[in-house]
Amino acid sequence: MIAFWVLGTIVIVSAVWTITAKKPVYSVVALLANFAALAVLYVTLSAEFLAVMQIIVYSGAILVLFVFVIALLSSGVAPFSAGPNRMPKAAIPAVVVVLAALGFLVYATAGVTAVAPGSVHTTSTVGPVGTAGIFGSVADFGKALFTVQLLPFEVTALILMVAVIGVVLLAGDRAPYVPSRRRAAEVERSMREAIVRGGE
Amino acid sequence: MPVAIGNYIALSAVMFFLGVAGVILRRNPLVTLMSIELMFNAANLLFMAFARAWLANAGQVFAFLVITVAAAEAAIGLAIVVTTFRDEKNVDVDEIRLMRG
Amino acid sequence: MNAVHHVMGADGSYPLLVALWLLPLAGAIACWAFGPQLKTAAGWLASAVVGASFVLVALSWGAGTQHAGGALGAHQALFSWIPGFDLGLLLDPLSLLWALIITGVGFLIHFYSMGYMDGDRAYARFFAYMNFFVFAMLTLVLSDNFVGLLVGWGLVGLASYFLIGFWFERPIAAAAARKAFVLNVVGDVAIMFAIFAIVATVHSTAFGDAFSATGAYGPGLLFVICVALFIGAAAKSAQIPLHTWLPDAMEGPTPVSALIHAATMVTAGVYLIARCAPLWNASHDAQLLAGTIGGLTAVAGAILGCAQWDIKRILAYSTMSQIGYMIMGVGVGAYEGGVAHFFTHAFFKAQLFLASGLIIHALADEQDIRRMGGLRTKMPFAFWAILTGVLSICGIPGFSGFFSKDRVIYGALQHGHPWLYAAGIVTAGLTAYYMFRLLFVTSLGEYRGDAASDSAHHPHAPAWIMGVPVGVLIVPTVAIGGVLMFGGDDSPWARYFAPQFGAQSLPAPAISEGLTSIVVLLFVIAGFAIAWWRYATKAAQADAVARLARESARMPALLTNLFYFDAVLDLLFVRSAQLFGTLSARVFDPHIIDGAVRELAFVTRTAGVFVQSLETGLVRAYALILALGAAGFIVYYALVAGGLH
Repeated sequence: MIAFWVLGTIVIVSAVWTITAKKPVYSVVALLANFAALAVLYVTLSAEFLAVMQIIVYSGAILVLFVFVIALLSSGVAPFSAGPNRMPKAAIPAVVVVLAALGFLVYATAGVTAVAPGSVHTTSTVGPVGTAGIFGSVADFGKALFTVQLLPFEVTALILMVAVIGVVLLAGDRAPYVPSRRRAAEVERSMREAIVRGGE
Repeated sequence: MPVAIGNYIALSAVMFFLGVAGVILRRNPLVTLMSIELMFNAANLLFMAFARAWLANAGQVFAFLVITVAAAEAAIGLAIVVTTFRDEKNVDVDEIRLMRG
Repeated sequence: MNAVHHVMGADGSYPLLVALWLLPLAGAIACWAFGPQLKTAAGWLASAVVGASFVLVALSWGAGTQHAGGALGAHQALFSWIPGFDLGLLLDPLSLLWALIITGVGFLIHFYSMGYMDGDRAYARFFAYMNFFVFAMLTLVLSDNFVGLLVGWGLVGLASYFLIGFWFERPIAAAAARKAFVLNVVGDVAIMFAIFAIVATVHSTAFGDAFSATGAYGPGLLFVICVALFIGAAAKSAQIPLHTWLPDAMEGPTPVSALIHAATMVTAGVYLIARCAPLWNASHDAQLLAGTIGGLTAVAGAILGCAQWDIKRILAYSTMSQIGYMIMGVGVGAYEGGVAHFFTHAFFKAQLFLASGLIIHALADEQDIRRMGGLRTKMPFAFWAILTGVLSICGIPGFSGFFSKDRVIYGALQHGHPWLYAAGIVTAGLTAYYMFRLLFVTSLGEYRGDAASDSAHHPHAPAWIMGVPVGVLIVPTVAIGGVLMFGGDDSPWARYFAPQFGAQSLPAPAISEGLTSIVVLLFVIAGFAIAWWRYATKAAQADAVARLARESARMPALLTNLFYFDAVLDLLFVRSAQLFGTLSARVFDPHIIDGAVRELAFVTRTAGVFVQSLETGLVRAYALILALGAAGFIVYYALVAGGLH
């Protein structure tokens, strides 16, 4: 209980920090804290394997990737986010609506106690019910992953392969499409001319 | 001591919308990608919570899938960022407006 | 020819009917396709075809009048249009009579036309049209169902259009043809609606089905059907107020006027009512309507006939008046009398037209009777032909017209319409006046025109070609009424039609038929006397030119403007249609139709501009819209679906 509140606070604070940090490196650090706190939360939820995955994949692989990219892009002197803010003013009420919905959602769900983690569920019979003692152990999860849930596991392999191919295509030496800003400006100008011609 | 499932939902919701806010408000593509990771993790947190509540490890398997997708997404997204802003002086998602009507 | 065993019905078979029906069509196609090759042979071919058709009709007399298997006449199935809607030909006493007139009088007029149309540039085309008309008319009268009748109805209108506008290079002829066609189509449409109502009720278009169930219609619908049919009949038979095309139709060649606009086509309305006798019998209102319109037309046509100077227009109004008689007769229920008047009228009016055609032809197309005169000595044959026709149409006792006209007039009284009876008698007097006026002005005194009466300046066919048909027609004009119709209800005529229309037992009116004849005769004599006094006395003949000029000048505007029928129709339909068209062009089209299109374009463009503003190209804006959608779901579950609990 106390762990949840502590960890939840860490999660929220680090998330806020992630999206508000001036420099992306700070965002990465905040995100690291966020993911670590989440990993601990997963342990409290009997998801041992995924807690480990969280640390290895996210903190170890993805965030390092982010750091590499930051290093790559900021090797020069160029600042981030130098252009004007183009978000239209009309977006403000939309943001307000979204925030209001969020507020309502938090308000409405915070009190829900029908199902309590850590105890056998009481209200729902949906889904396979494992044994409480070994639930979430690596053995249990691994057995499920290679038997009942084999198809999703294979799908993850496919997704990763597609991602690899995509990255090679995009960032490789002979990338077929480079959406540079110069290129974007050219395309945009030609489209505007076409629209103006078509409209007359 | 058990924690009400609603608290997990609320935490997940807050985290998810912080991710949304990051995508909407920040113009740095790297922060945008990180905000997306936040949203993925918010979803994962829910999966974990409900898997524990119902003692059904299908939710964990799905979270596993989400982590994979998030990794792939991060890889491709960063590749796009790198190729797009390799030659640029600054990095701003607002500068890429190919889909403007 | 198997003339003994014929049964009517779907399996009835009388192939000869198909032959006599299609022969004129074959002639028409031949004349049309090979006109340049046939040259003057086209006339002979066309006449021969109609003559052969007449012979076949005459041979079918026995088949048409037989009473076998509970059904009257001979029947020939053609084909099935839609399952349940069979087309076929029916020859019963009524259609037999019409077919005889169409082919018989038609043959004589074809023959006559060979002389009249001699030298015309479109000689073969004329005979193609004439044959086509005969075919169309046979289609009309021989059909055993309403659809075939309507097809024939439309085809005769088309043939009439062709022939009125035969000299289409004359704008006035083309206009007259168009007017006739348009007014006829009004009738076609009305008949179509009657057919719709009949099919909706009895699910068949066959006459037998439609007439055997008159009770199925209900009085209201029955009256509507009769009115719709009557509009068709009125348009075709030149009844008020749809008559205005008939005088204009005299722009066609005179044989056309004789065949189509006197003897056959314009009596199609009479045929229609007689054919639909069971419907009329079942609806007293419809009888009253048809009888009244017929009586009004008889009087109005006669009055207008008194005010005309064109010989063919006088005959046209006379035709209109006489058809008014027929419609009055069949309308009130005196079918046999109305049909009798059609029968005799076909002869004497054809003769009058053909005889006047002799005059017109000889005077180089002069039609104004003020520029005639003295033709009794110059063209004695034409004079005598017209005289017999005039005597017959006036109903001088012994002549054909006397029998049929008295049957109509007395029939009106028998069926309980004293006012129509009176109208018939008055019309008889008026008829005598304008017909003798025609005769006296054309025949007596000195010749007032300037045409060389022998017209030697253009080549002529032998006069006998035109003379023979007129001579032949004199016989029935004078005698056929006496032969067939003498003897009242015991006459051969009445016995011929007894199985067709059934016996009607009517209360004897207060006035006997003999007294009626005498009264009619008195009126006729009065009309004759006035005509004599005005045109035939020595003094009148002496200064005929001045008198006629004075009469023309003093003619009441009401009559010279033909009761303003054209003006009223013009005001009611043409002007209102033009007004509607102008309104549509000035208001509806630019503001409603174009306006709708413009509004649509405007709305589309505005929507496009709005949607375009959403397409900012900003990834963040798209994310916001997605989030807004998610928020929308939350709000929906919170508010509409009853909250999240």
